[in-house]
Amino acid sequence: MTAPVLRVSGLQVNYGGNTALSIESFHVGKGELVGVVGANGAGKSTLVNGVLGWSRGPAQARGDIFLDGENLSKLPTHERVRKGLLLIPESKLVFGNLTVQDNLQAASRGGVATDRRRYSVEEVYGLFPSLDKRKNSLGAQLSGGERQMLGIARALCLGPRVLLLDEPSIGLAPLLISKMLHTIRSLVDEGLSVLLVEQNVRAALQVVDRLVLLERGSIVADGPVDQMRGDPRIIDAYLGKQAK
Amino acid sequence: MLFRGLLAALVVVAGFFLPRLLGGGGELYSAFVLIAIFAVMAYGLDLIVSDLGEVSLCHTVFFAVGAYTTALMSTGLGSGPIMTFLGASLASLCVAALIGLITLKLREFVFSLVTYALAVVAGTLAQHWSFLGGSDGLRGIPMLALSLGNFTLAAEGDEGIWLVAYVLLLLSLWIIHSFRRSTLGQAAIMVHLNPRLAIMSGIDPARTRLQVFLLSAPVTASAGWLYAYQRAYISADVLDPYFLILMLTAVVLVGKRMLLGPIIGVALILIQERFFSMGAYVDKIILGSVLIAVLVLQPNGLQGLFARYGRQSR
Amino acid sequence: MNFLQQLINGLVLGHAYALLAVGWTVLLGVARLVNFGHGQIYMLCAFTTWFIVSRLGIPYPLAIVAAVAVGAAVGAIMQKIMMGLTLKQDLVRIMIVTLGFGYVLEGAAALFFGSSAQILETPLTAHDFYIKDLWFNGQDFAIIIMAMVFFVALKLIVENTQLGRLVRMVAEDPPLAQLAGINVRRVYIGVFAFEGAAVALAAALVAPRTPILTSMGFEEVIITFVVVVLGGIGSIAGSYVAGLLLGLFSAMFGWLADPSYTMTAAFCVLIAILAIRPGGFAAKRGGN
Repeated sequence: MTAPVLRVSGLQVNYGGNTALSIESFHVGKGELVGVVGANGAGKSTLVNGVLGWSRGPAQARGDIFLDGENLSKLPTHERVRKGLLLIPESKLVFGNLTVQDNLQAASRGGVATDRRRYSVEEVYGLFPSLDKRKNSLGAQLSGGERQMLGIARALCLGPRVLLLDEPSIGLAPLLISKMLHTIRSLVDEGLSVLLVEQNVRAALQVVDRLVLLERGSIVADGPVDQMRGDPRIIDAYLGKQAK
Repeated sequence: MLFRGLLAALVVVAGFFLPRLLGGGGELYSAFVLIAIFAVMAYGLDLIVSDLGEVSLCHTVFFAVGAYTTALMSTGLGSGPIMTFLGASLASLCVAALIGLITLKLREFVFSLVTYALAVVAGTLAQHWSFLGGSDGLRGIPMLALSLGNFTLAAEGDEGIWLVAYVLLLLSLWIIHSFRRSTLGQAAIMVHLNPRLAIMSGIDPARTRLQVFLLSAPVTASAGWLYAYQRAYISADVLDPYFLILMLTAVVLVGKRMLLGPIIGVALILIQERFFSMGAYVDKIILGSVLIAVLVLQPNGLQGLFARYGRQSR
Repeated sequence: MNFLQQLINGLVLGHAYALLAVGWTVLLGVARLVNFGHGQIYMLCAFTTWFIVSRLGIPYPLAIVAAVAVGAAVGAIMQKIMMGLTLKQDLVRIMIVTLGFGYVLEGAAALFFGSSAQILETPLTAHDFYIKDLWFNGQDFAIIIMAMVFFVALKLIVENTQLGRLVRMVAEDPPLAQLAGINVRRVYIGVFAFEGAAVALAAALVAPRTPILTSMGFEEVIITFVVVVLGGIGSIAGSYVAGLLLGLFSAMFGWLADPSYTMTAAFCVLIAILAIRPGGFAAKRGGN
């Protein structure tokens, strides 16, 4: 088993006395698609933001983040990004006043290190033909689905070692969700490592290799997807979503 | 491509001869020179306001630093125009570095407050410090003259200075244009539009802000450099709020991030002052009111008005 | 001039500074708005008071009332004009617009009142008191007393009345306040009018101490800025204490060193403090 591309150890995030997140140990393997699911407020967003060293308000964070063996915890967020730890946020994930083309150009010119696979703007248009058609539209003019695609495309141009997605399916029609997740799956099959935080358990189950269940800031289950499909807690979460 | 290049060259050359085409004369050349100087001054601020999206209220300090350095070096050390230009740029960079480091961690409006207070402090220093001439200022700045061996190129009067002013203006336009197409320029826009996403794209917002600030200072200072030669004397009134309001209005009047915006803005304001003046105090009221009106009624500037008409007439 | 005299001078200055800054700190802390035309409103109201007393011959106390009314009106009009920007919370444009307003006020004041320095004489400035060999001026007493009364009244109103609660709700969360049925626009206009009124009161009381010029507005902002940042944004008690400290500092510095550089020195102290503690002194609690 090769070393994981992302390893989190002892990550704790406190917001003014409340422990929002407490992760003993967590990893994403190379070329693996790991899904993180859980109810609202379980700490999913806190997890991905915490890995990047970012918080919405004043927060205390502790813990070690290893990217390809290198400890990033002393680095500020933008430095971690430059090392290849890329997060696609759930909102405001594109530059609204720039065109699709400008968004992508800026990402490919961005000073992220050149020692790994970076997608070119042409390659990305090949993956997302509808973005190619909307090349000259402003980010603010795009639909929710197109914006999500652009967010992913930008990250690919920046050159990820591991890609973190924060609830990409929010606000998207089911057909689009499926399409987007399958695109991500095919990228993973080509070698990309992805951490997918998702509210939509059913959709996540279709594409992930491994599933992690987060409850009140802690990991309560972590295993291969086939094994987790039968786990009663996952079924609860899945049914819970269905029941809405 | 070649055609566009030739056309651009033609426009550039025609621009130089514009005052002569309009009739020439001291009055006209003086207006053109001042428009060029104040436009260059405004372009420095334009980088901060339009690209970074922050309000720096201390660019008058850079203007003053440029002017005072030129005055001190030319009268005290007998330096020529190239040396004073370098001196002015270097001095403004040092001041900008100091200000930048102090304000690095401050939130946006505290940054504006600090820069505003700095301008007031600079005004106090200019008024009272004998090294800077106190309230009398520094006089006797020599004519701008370049000597190469036996050959001397001197800028006599406003007509003579116009060449230098025009070249300086073109240089500033080139700097702004190149900046906006550069990685730093794009980073500045991204930090402005969506700081979080900029960070998530690997950009360091503090470093970007500092770099843009450092770039903007010598641009404005170079305007001060030329202003010193044009007036032949410099005093504390280069820190008058007039220059600040002038710069701000010029930057917002025509539209954001339009290359020719500031120069058109400055031209409109100075034309009103010189040829349609209603007295110094009423002019103040007019200038202030224009600034207010643009921001309240048409925040995208005058070009937004034309865009609307364009859409309606289709 | 001895130490005790300077102490008294410092206390008077301190109360003046506190009064000058309190409108700003309420505006900033409560409405999260800035007003760079603050200094010019001060100047305008100082001149209004002078005009009413010396040119119209109306008694000083009435002139104060008139000046406060003018200040409140100017503030309200300013806010009415820039209401769109306030609702959008577009801080950058708000800053520039208020600068523009200040400039217009400066031009208008110079047009109407002329550009020469004037001295405002009130029935109080004529009275000097002596205790041992310490000198007090009647006007100074008025400043201290009025400032104290004002601060106490303000603190009581903000903390204990419905009005205060309303204003704090709008400060906290404007959209939520709107949903709660509060007329946010009226609150903003009210807060801006208050800021104008407070600075007008300061102007009417403090202006008699020195000659006034229509160009003086530009510099007043530094004092306000230092007091507000030192005292903690939005803190009423904080601006009182910070004002006093700054007043004492100014008096001592002016006495021991060159008075022309007092503001420069105060500013340097502020920068030093900001470097260590970017949030200023007081803890960030919404008004106390």
